[in-house]
Amino acid sequence: MARLPLDYAVRNLGRSPLRAGLSVLGACLVVLLIIAAAGFVTGMSRSLRASGDDRHVILLGAGSEESIERSEIPASVGSLVAAAVPGLETSMGVPHVSAEVHVQLPVRATPDADNPRLLLIRGVTPAAMLVHRSVQITEGRFPRAGHDEIMLGSAAPRQLGLAESDLAVGSTLWIDKSRWTIVGRFAAPGTVMQAEAWTALTDLKAATKRETDSCVVLALGDAEFADIDAFARQRLDLELTAIPETRYYAGLASFFRPVQAVVWATALLIAAGGLLGGLNTMYAAFSSRVRELGMLQCLGYRRGAIVLSLVQESLLAASAGAVLASIVGLAMLDGLAVRFSTGVFGLVVDHTVVALGLAAGLALGLIGALPPALRALRLPIPESLKAA
Amino acid sequence: MTTAPFIQCRSLTRAYRKGATVITPLRELDLDVPAGDFVALMGPSGSGKTTLLNLIAGIDRPTAGSLIIGGVDLGRLSAARLADWRAASVGYVFQLYNLVPVLTAYENVELPLLLRRMPSRERHRRVALALELTGIADRHDHYPRQLSGGQEQRVAIARAIVADPPLLVADEPTGDLDGESAAAIMSLLVRLNRELGKTLIMVTHDPRSAAHARRTLHLEKGRLVADDRPNAEAAA
Repeated sequence: MARLPLDYAVRNLGRSPLRAGLSVLGACLVVLLIIAAAGFVTGMSRSLRASGDDRHVILLGAGSEESIERSEIPASVGSLVAAAVPGLETSMGVPHVSAEVHVQLPVRATPDADNPRLLLIRGVTPAAMLVHRSVQITEGRFPRAGHDEIMLGSAAPRQLGLAESDLAVGSTLWIDKSRWTIVGRFAAPGTVMQAEAWTALTDLKAATKRETDSCVVLALGDAEFADIDAFARQRLDLELTAIPETRYYAGLASFFRPVQAVVWATALLIAAGGLLGGLNTMYAAFSSRVRELGMLQCLGYRRGAIVLSLVQESLLAASAGAVLASIVGLAMLDGLAVRFSTGVFGLVVDHTVVALGLAAGLALGLIGALPPALRALRLPIPESLKAA
Repeated sequence: MTTAPFIQCRSLTRAYRKGATVITPLRELDLDVPAGDFVALMGPSGSGKTTLLNLIAGIDRPTAGSLIIGGVDLGRLSAARLADWRAASVGYVFQLYNLVPVLTAYENVELPLLLRRMPSRERHRRVALALELTGIADRHDHYPRQLSGGQEQRVAIARAIVADPPLLVADEPTGDLDGESAAAIMSLLVRLNRELGKTLIMVTHDPRSAAHARRTLHLEKGRLVADDRPNAEAAA
């Protein structure tokens, strides 16, 4: 089948620069939305996945498998498990066992500031730095016990809606109604920890008037998960459950799957709206050329060749929009910090997300052009030659 | 030995259904047109002349009867084969030129040749020749909006002849032109018929245009009512 030259499709875009511009812009916005949705879902999943280590096990209160924050275990669990289970990873004789308290508390920059934001505060001992190796202190030092000191993750300012300068080392924060001094900053790239504040375990317990811990996180070393699981099952008095850290965060990810589905559904609904707008534009564009399309058939061009040319025209506009959206997505959305209940995570615009955006753009161009093209060619040739 | 006519219509009928009503713009027409003839189709609106032209051009199909052109029974061709036949065998000249506005005169004329496998040099030669023959070569890089009506029709005629089809059909080719331009276009069509031997079928309302034809067919209510051959000698 002989085709019309691509040049014909390219130049047809120039018939109405406004219409072509709107087509490109419409495709760009729809694809950008899809890239943003895909970047959100990918970023959230990746953040939760990166937060778990397959050689880490969490000991939680029985029945609290879905939320560390709701868990309560005796403060003695950390030392008991370290003594009872041989083969745990150690450094210079110190077992990699981190007893922790996780609690969300309202945080203000000043005592009278309105609208405090919730921040996950993690009470830890220095052993936490042995267990959570992705955590690197980038400025200042680890908080000392008994001094109401905290160190902030790199994404905490965004989580709190405060400027970096408000949270410099040496400045203060108000957690609940107490004054805390920022003594350090840390990074934990790609994990939920980067949106947390860490403080001394004993200080946080005192501030929250609790005696129990939330959990114990330990590194297995030569031990196996079955050893920790057996410990939890045998010590019925402690009311524990053991769960691999990766499984805990996978559970969190599945908990947020409906949210991701809603994000996708919203993006697709808006994309469908964009598609309908595109269809409308193409119906108008092609129906104004019915006589010309009839002439091309008179010359001997087959309907398939003409449909292909019209689809090429739409694909060109949609592709231009998709490429533009990909560039904007890579430049402005990739890494953009998003605050969510899991913490702060960065949107991920990687090659898969860009490929998805480009594919969506092409689909938009194809679906947006086919019905109008087929409709424009529906008339018999003599009828189309009479069209205005 | 008698040679078969180039165009042979037998009981050619075209009917449309419009709701419960059947409209028959062409009824059981019998017609023979020898190769190289120049036939004008005349008649009042609704007489069936454009319907006959469209059938001969292969852009419409008969409801009954047969239409054989150059030995090909058009009624038996599939839509795709009919499109291929049009590309090879017929050039269509429209009243309103129907040039593609985003293409130059040269590119408009080139369009039918893109349907064929042909070296670009040969394509260029043929386009240049067609533009030369129609006297519009100096405007080859102009867009339709930059041309007068007469010039646009010359480009349209160049497009119709560039693939060297044996048959040209023209639907009111001077209907949208002033007297001077109309006369020039008719002279061009006559040249194409006389010098290049193209069989030319032309629908017209204008007796002055029809006077250039060797034969004038008058249709009324879908039937052939008169077959005048005032210029038949010229065909000999």
